Amino acid sequence: MNEIIQAIFQAIELIIELDPKLIQITKLSLYISLTATLIGSLIAIPIGGIIYYYEFWGKRSIINLIQTLYSVPTVLVGLFLFLLISQQGPFGFLKLLFTPTGMIIGQILLILPLLIGFTITALVGVSTQIKELAISLGASTYQTIITIIKEARYAIMGTVILGFGRAISEVGVAILIGGNIRGFTRTFTTAISLETSRGNLVLSIALGFILLSLSLIINLLLNYLQGKD
Amino acid sequence: MHIVELEEIYKNYGNLQVLKNINLQIEKGTSTALAGPTGSGKTVMLRLIDLLEKPSSGTVYFEGADANESSKTRLNIRRQIGMVFQKPLAFKASVYDNIAYGLKVRGIKENMDGRIKELLELIGLPGYENRNALKLSGGETQRLALARAMITDPELLLLDEPTANLDPISKKKLEELILKINRESETTVIMTTHDLLQGQKLADRMVLLYNGQILQSGTPDQIFRKPKNRFVADFVGIENIMSGSIESSSNGLAKIKTGSITVFAVTEKEGEVHFSIRPDEITISREKVQTSARNTIQGKVNEIIDTGSLIKLLVDTGELFTVFITRESLNELNISIGTSIWLYFKASAVHVF
Repeated sequence: MNEIIQAIFQAIELIIELDPKLIQITKLSLYISLTATLIGSLIAIPIGGIIYYYEFWGKRSIINLIQTLYSVPTVLVGLFLFLLISQQGPFGFLKLLFTPTGMIIGQILLILPLLIGFTITALVGVSTQIKELAISLGASTYQTIITIIKEARYAIMGTVILGFGRAISEVGVAILIGGNIRGFTRTFTTAISLETSRGNLVLSIALGFILLSLSLIINLLLNYLQGKD
Repeated sequence: MHIVELEEIYKNYGNLQVLKNINLQIEKGTSTALAGPTGSGKTVMLRLIDLLEKPSSGTVYFEGADANESSKTRLNIRRQIGMVFQKPLAFKASVYDNIAYGLKVRGIKENMDGRIKELLELIGLPGYENRNALKLSGGETQRLALARAMITDPELLLLDEPTANLDPISKKKLEELILKINRESETTVIMTTHDLLQGQKLADRMVLLYNGQILQSGTPDQIFRKPKNRFVADFVGIENIMSGSIESSSNGLAKIKTGSITVFAVTEKEGEVHFSIRPDEITISREKVQTSARNTIQGKVNEIIDTGSLIKLLVDTGELFTVFITRESLNELNISIGTSIWLYFKASAVHVF
């Protein structure tokens, strides 16, 4: 017990001292997950807008499928991408395995369903009267979709934050695609799992504190945005 | 040329037929009121004209061309139309951005600030540019909606029950604004209303809808004075509607018997008819006097109702007549319930339908 308490204090010390190892892992984790969230959002929000706007055959099934994929295990996404980009895979020539770029792609794949699905939910939350208002004021289809996205901006920002939360906390893609290479692809989650198994509790706890703080910030932001709607 | 023409329009929602064989032409620069009880199809008609919906069959023409030809024609035509919905509605943005919307989607940037300032003054919300539109009251939002529709100088302005959700003061302001827009900028206006007096006040022409069909269309005067059938008469609240049969007629003067009274009327009609006499066409006296009015009927005052400005008498002559008199006349003639009085009205004042 004493050891654990000691480790906690040492972890806090590490954070206060801005330990270079800690900083490096934090920076890399944030870089990978923020990039994945940004690119994922740029893809997901327009797709969500299109699925929301148009009525087409199979729309309901597509939305159901997207919702099912919200909770797909992260290791499955990791495995799927691994098969695609490993040496023998169809995209092996891109040499993306065990690179931050590969991890970004993996995290994009991971959060895309969630981003699209929640974007659709956010847009559905905007009344059809607003949609008709835009149309009657002379908006084209494209302009109407943009207007509705703007109307749902807080809910969509919430969606983006939620996507970031899933990306930063996942471990399956990070370990399978990143490979946990120190200083290159080692992130919060892979570092914690490695250091814990090695018995290096201090670094693990310090990383855990940072991850927890990030979760707290994400939740506060979400609450704030929900209040805005 | 007509700005809008509806030709043999039918509209169904599943098995529900909401519009049946609608044929209507709207002249440029006029103001038309689509009137009728709730559920008569007014709003659907307006939505068809705004191209928010397509008819199940039939054609909507805008300035002579088929409006629903392609999504591009729909967009182009819609950009010449302004619409104000019944429910006060605003984008989650400032008042300025709400009003500017129509210009922005059309890519017009010239003199935007000036136009918006002008419009805000017109609708009585000067200096409101930076306010959050969602924080406005219902009346303010409805006036904002009018400004938002007006900023693009539409050829045609559609108003769906524009004053339905407003307090009396906001209602009056908005009505004055609509009149001003129609008269001064020669914008064609089509509005729906269930308030006939509003229709009479604001429109050159009224179209009466019931059960998805046009019952009658004409000037408010025609509708109020010459209802085409019993339903229109009842709906427009015409008093003194009676039924009878034409006994004889010579030189256009007909003798109508209701069973309890006989009334002379100017009509070419024959057989079973309805007729009405506007209360203000009826004069009264205590003692029988000689007048030029063809109809002289005696009755007893059944009820005296103070309507505020005038006194309403219900007089039983065998048929129940409604007559309006001033408070002075009531005192002068010393009328109370049960008093016997004489009613006079001209044969030409009897509208037969």
